[in-house]
Amino acid sequence: MGKSFFHGAKVFVGMSGGVDSSVSAMLLVEQGYDVTGVYMKNWSKDLPGMKCPWAEDLADAKRVAVKLGINFEVWDFEEEYRQKVVEYMLDEFKKGNTPNPDIMCNQEIKFKLFFEKAKERGADFIATGHYARTLALEMPPSGHTQGRSAKHMVPRRASSSAPVLLRAVDDNKDQTYFLYRISEEALAHTLFPIGGIKKPEVKKLAEERGLHNAYKKESMGVCFVGDVGMKDFLKEYIEINPGEIREIESERVLGYHEGAIFYTIGQRHGLCLDGEKGVVNDGLPYYVVKKDTKNNIVYVSKNLNDDNLWINELELKDVILRTSDLSILGPTCQPVFTGGSFTDGELRRPGHALELDKSPVLVRLRHRAPLIPATFDGKTIYFDNKIKRPASGQSAVLYDGEICLGGGIIA
Amino acid sequence: MIYLDHAAATPVLKEALEAMMPYFSDVFFNPSAAYLPAKKVASDYEAAKATIAHAIGAKASDLVITAGATEANNLAFTAIQANAESVLYLATEHDSVRRIAEQCGGTEVKVLSNGIIDLSDLKSKINDQIELISISLVNNELGVLQPLAEVANLIRETKIDRMKRGVKTQLLLHSDASQALNLLDISVSRLGVDLLTLNAAKVYGPKGVGALYVSHDVRLKPLTYGGGQENGLRSGTENVPGVIGFAAAVKHAKEHVNGNRKKYAGWKKILLQELKDYELINKKHTLDNFIVLCYNGLDAERLIFLLEDRGVYVSTGAACATSKGVRSHVLKAIGLSDSEIAGSLRISLGRTNTEEQIHDAARIINEVVQSEKERVKRNG
Repeated sequence: MGKSFFHGAKVFVGMSGGVDSSVSAMLLVEQGYDVTGVYMKNWSKDLPGMKCPWAEDLADAKRVAVKLGINFEVWDFEEEYRQKVVEYMLDEFKKGNTPNPDIMCNQEIKFKLFFEKAKERGADFIATGHYARTLALEMPPSGHTQGRSAKHMVPRRASSSAPVLLRAVDDNKDQTYFLYRISEEALAHTLFPIGGIKKPEVKKLAEERGLHNAYKKESMGVCFVGDVGMKDFLKEYIEINPGEIREIESERVLGYHEGAIFYTIGQRHGLCLDGEKGVVNDGLPYYVVKKDTKNNIVYVSKNLNDDNLWINELELKDVILRTSDLSILGPTCQPVFTGGSFTDGELRRPGHALELDKSPVLVRLRHRAPLIPATFDGKTIYFDNKIKRPASGQSAVLYDGEICLGGGIIA
Repeated sequence: MIYLDHAAATPVLKEALEAMMPYFSDVFFNPSAAYLPAKKVASDYEAAKATIAHAIGAKASDLVITAGATEANNLAFTAIQANAESVLYLATEHDSVRRIAEQCGGTEVKVLSNGIIDLSDLKSKINDQIELISISLVNNELGVLQPLAEVANLIRETKIDRMKRGVKTQLLLHSDASQALNLLDISVSRLGVDLLTLNAAKVYGPKGVGALYVSHDVRLKPLTYGGGQENGLRSGTENVPGVIGFAAAVKHAKEHVNGNRKKYAGWKKILLQELKDYELINKKHTLDNFIVLCYNGLDAERLIFLLEDRGVYVSTGAACATSKGVRSHVLKAIGLSDSEIAGSLRISLGRTNTEEQIHDAARIINEVVQSEKERVKRNG
């Protein structure tokens, strides 16, 4: 890794108790930053049959911080998380959408409240264990960083518009899908210490340094839902409202569901269909192809080619474009990666600006889903080939090569 | 490894483990079965229960074997006949008493700053609805020994007064004695208890085995229903190896009570002499294997992780409380400030320790405390 450019700068690192944020904190310490570990307490409530592991996670995070010899604090964002993330999520589900709470958590909590509080505390940077990278366009001279407040530290060229969010080196772990909505200001002051290395290397580093959580089970998805499904979580908040499941072609009632809002387009599991109709048990699965939330009807089909399942245009709302002028990556500006090292020519330097007239982009429709070539006009994505319809409320994230251009919520 | 957390768990005694082994495989029979080998298992089981019962001055038929102290405590509360506001419990009780007492609409009884029950508070709260008073014999965080005999006296007086006035409500005394058997010679009649909880896991027996002593005139209700084992109060095939191990552990504890007291008193003295810059929280009326130290201004959880790195295992308060991320209600009840609670460590001595370890532990704790003090100082 080598010594950092920002030796001695004050960093608050979000520590969840997992291996990624633990190794991130460790790397920052080794790079000479003045590091404080912070556990963000966003959710602690047990629900029937769901034990929230926050206290264990907190203890794991604290144990690592103590081992690293750094200060450790707990910042309580529980009330804000409930307001900004959980209620947003429930509202969206009630509208028939399938929201992504992790994206909202990054936008509203980790890269807003956590960032703001760190700034108040005199931070030069925040850091997280996300697999992502940033491209800092202009660095202040070295040796003049200590004790300076965040507003002096903006590592970007005055004329350029924004720091650049880049995909992680580990393609398999890249988490920019969850980060596309975070503010420019926060990103300009964010370090992603493991964005430049791959997961096996992260695990190896943890083992080598004796961080006990190298083998800890990875938490996936929404932290507070834990091992049970989103549906079970929702049932705690949204009343069951039984309705019909109909075959879209025939309008025949094939079974009953517990509320259309619990179902997602494309879903094939968890459908309670009546086998006696003689149409069900031929071995082929039914897919949810349409939801009528107003009349509480879920439509299913066996026909994978059903028009409802396939689209070649996707309209977005709440679009965020992280950068509209990609010419900022000009020859006068030396790219410097704040997380990890800039190893090879992986960065595709785009020779065009993103214009609002059908620019070519790559689209990611789910975390870790493949990148799909398409064009985008600022509102609608046009796919070259038909794709399976993603659920409304999910995010479509746009890339140009390694660069995360932004994205929007599927309308 | 220097293990200083015997109040959280104890290793199974060699003799207990050896006694248990045949009952897992060679003599595995269901004690309720009709053939002779099974009858032999049933009689071994009863003999083991008798050993445990005799250790507290009771009969085998007075004991209900449970899957640990939590279940025994919960079972004790089934003695209540009315639905609400008929329970008093000490503010420093373990959660396995507190939670069930809360369910029953119970009222907390205060403790004094030394952790001893505030008898005048107790007296003022015993109204005619009260049916059950639950006070642990030895507190699991402080090792404080409660004056149960005095409580029993108060109960006797209250009962006489109730009878004079024609009030028919029962008044029972329950005590959780999970932490007591290693250092105390217990007799249920001397203590004056109607219900007493025992726990194998704290006396070098297996985990998941406990017992509730039930005085013959107390009527309980089962928590589980089935084959009617344990006088119909705890159905389910008997945990034969567990109870055999429990009995062996209890027998050993009983025989070593005096030796243990002398040994732990000596070790406690060494620790208190060699440790530096602490405040002793549990000064009086405590068992000598419990030492609660406060390093005000430091974070005891950090000390635990640093000590863990040095192979020394201690705790802050109850292990269950730590995993829930809440501050000790016991230390709060004795009037400690938040910063004092945050700086408090519990050391509980036991069979795994040696005198040499005690000296080593004192040295390592001093070093770790010193390094944390320096870190705090550096950060201003």
